[in-house]
Amino acid sequence: MTVREQAALDALLLEAEVARFFSLEAELLDERRFKDWLDLLHDDIRYWMPIARNVRFNEPELEYTRASADANWFDEGKDTLRKRVQQIEGGDHWAEEPRSRTTHLVTNVRIEKSEGPDITAKSRFVVCAYRLEHDVDLFMGKRVDVLRRQDGALKVLRRAIYLDQSVLLSRNLTTFF
Amino acid sequence: MRATDFIDLEAGTLSRDIFSSEELFRRELTQVFAPSWNFVGHTSQLAKNGDFFLSRCATESVIVARDERGEIHVLLNSCRHRGMPACRYDTGNATGFICSYHGWSYGLDGALTGVPRLKERYQGRLEREKWGLVPARVKVFHGSIWASFDPKAPSFEDYLGADMQFYLRSLLQGPDGEDDGYEVIGGIVKWQVPCNWKFGAENFAGDHYHGYSHISVERLSVGLSGKTSRHNFAGVKVKRQPMYIADPKRGHTIRASVFAALAPYDDQEAASPEVNAYYRRCHEARQKRLGDKSRLMIHGGVIFPNTHFNSAGRMTIGLWLPLGAARTEVWRWLFVPRNAPNAVKDTLREYYLRYAGPAGMVEQDDMENWTAAQRGAEGLIARHYPFNYQLAMGLERRARPDEWLGNEVTITEDVTEHNQRAFYAHWAALMAGEP
Repeated sequence: MTVREQAALDALLLEAEVARFFSLEAELLDERRFKDWLDLLHDDIRYWMPIARNVRFNEPELEYTRASADANWFDEGKDTLRKRVQQIEGGDHWAEEPRSRTTHLVTNVRIEKSEGPDITAKSRFVVCAYRLEHDVDLFMGKRVDVLRRQDGALKVLRRAIYLDQSVLLSRNLTTFF
Repeated sequence: MRATDFIDLEAGTLSRDIFSSEELFRRELTQVFAPSWNFVGHTSQLAKNGDFFLSRCATESVIVARDERGEIHVLLNSCRHRGMPACRYDTGNATGFICSYHGWSYGLDGALTGVPRLKERYQGRLEREKWGLVPARVKVFHGSIWASFDPKAPSFEDYLGADMQFYLRSLLQGPDGEDDGYEVIGGIVKWQVPCNWKFGAENFAGDHYHGYSHISVERLSVGLSGKTSRHNFAGVKVKRQPMYIADPKRGHTIRASVFAALAPYDDQEAASPEVNAYYRRCHEARQKRLGDKSRLMIHGGVIFPNTHFNSAGRMTIGLWLPLGAARTEVWRWLFVPRNAPNAVKDTLREYYLRYAGPAGMVEQDDMENWTAAQRGAEGLIARHYPFNYQLAMGLERRARPDEWLGNEVTITEDVTEHNQRAFYAHWAALMAGEP
C-alpha cells in the first residue's frame, strides 16, 4: 500500500469511527439510556445551541447568538446536562412524563480536522419527537463537534448545534442533540 | 355581552370559553389589546444611533429604532403602500428601511423618504408627510420602552397607576437599588406554545399554588443558593411574607415578598463565591439607598394585559403574544445588572438558560401543563363546566402593614388566586365594554 493509499484509508476509518460514535449516541438517547450517553461526554464539554436570527446579508455575524455572551437555547457544561438527566429520570418532570418517543438521525458526517487528540466533525441532524397522542416536534439543523480521544475512547468536548428554526415552533426542548 | 358572561366573582368561577372561543379571541384583540400599552424592549438594545430591532404589539410587528439624533421610535412595520414589512431583519444597524415590494423607503423615524417615480407618475401630488410608517406613542420608563397605538389610551403613567409605577421602577432597579440598573443579554428568546395566552398571563400574575408543577426541579439544585431549589432566595433566613398585590382598576398584578426586618446578607448566592460577593455588596448598597423599602422582593407579575416578568434574582421580561385562541408566541428578554462583573453576568445567564423558556428545566413543565389545560378548555362537554378560582377568596384587604406598598392596590397575604381574579375581572370588564 502506498503512503497515499494508507492516508486515504486512515481518513475513511476515522470518518467511519466518528459516524459510528454518533450512531451510538443516537441509539442511547432514543433508548433513554441517558446516563450511558453522559459517559460519552467529556467532563469539560461545552454544549451550545444558539438562537438563529433573520439578519441582513452583510451582517452575518448577527445571525446566531454568541456562546458565553448572548441568550442561547443551550449554553452549558456537563453539570447542567447531568441535572437535566436527573430531572427526566425522576418520573416527575411533566414535560417528559410520560416520556416522548424520539428518533435521532445524524448524517452527512465529514471530518473537518484531526489534530493530536482532537477531531472536528461536521454533520446534519434530524430529531423527531412524538409525544402523548398527537404532539410532533421536528428539529433539523447542523452540528459541529470536537471529539477528544481519551484513553482510546472518543468523548464529546465541544458540541455546537445550529437549529434551523428562528422562532422555536415547539413548546419545549426536552430532548438532547 | 356582559362581564358576568365570563366571570362570576361571587362564585369565583370562570368560563372555559374564554380560552377556546375564536370569536372571543377576535373580540379580545380589539377590546383588550388595542387600547393597551405594550412593553417592546429596552434602551440597552439600542446602544448606537441607527440600531434597530423588531418587536411586537399584540399581533402587530413593530420596528424599534434609535434615529440619527438618538431619539427612540416605535413604528408599525407595515409599508403604507401595500402593507409589506418595511423591515424584514430581526435586528441590525441601518440608516432606514426599504420595502422589498415597490421600494418605498423610510427613515429611522418612519418618515417616507423615497418613492420610486415620485415626480413623473405621482405628478407631485403624493403628500409624503402623510404616508410615513405609523408611529406609536412611546414612553421610556427607567430604561424599558413602551408603546401604544391607541390615541385615546391614557398616558403611560395613568395606564400604570401610581402603585404599579412604583413596582415597575423597583423591578428595573439593579440589585443595588440603582434606577435603570439592568441591560439586556443579546437576543430575544422566541417560541410558540399551543395554548391561550391567558394561561401564561394568569400563571405569572399570581400563581404560587402550582408548586407541584415544579417538584422535579425542587429536588435538584437549579438556583444559585447551593441548596436544592430552583430559587436563589432558598438560603435567606429572615422571615418573609409573600404578598399578592393587584390593581383592580387596571388589572396589573404583582407577586412579591416583604422581609420582616432589614437583615444582613444571608449568602443566598452561595453556589458561586464571586456572585455571592457581588450580591453582598449590592444588598448593603440597596439597604442604604432604599431604606425600609429594600425589604421588598418582587417575584414577578403582569402589566396588563400581556407583559410579564419574573424577578427575585432572575430578571426577565416577556410578552404573551396572541396568535389565536389556542396558540401563543412567547418573547422573552433576559437581563443582567449593568454594573456586575462579567463572571456574575455569566453565572446569571447560565441560570436563566437552564430555568426559563423551552429549554428551561422549570418552565418546560409550565408549557406542558398549559398545553394540556388548553385541551381541557376545548371539550364539547367539558367547556360547560367553569374553572375554579376560589383559592383564598375573601381574604384580600386594603389595609396593609407598609404604606409604601400602595394606596390603590388590594393585597392578599399567602397563597391565593386573588391576582388571577383581579386580572380576569378587569379583562371581563374590557370585553364587555364596561369601563
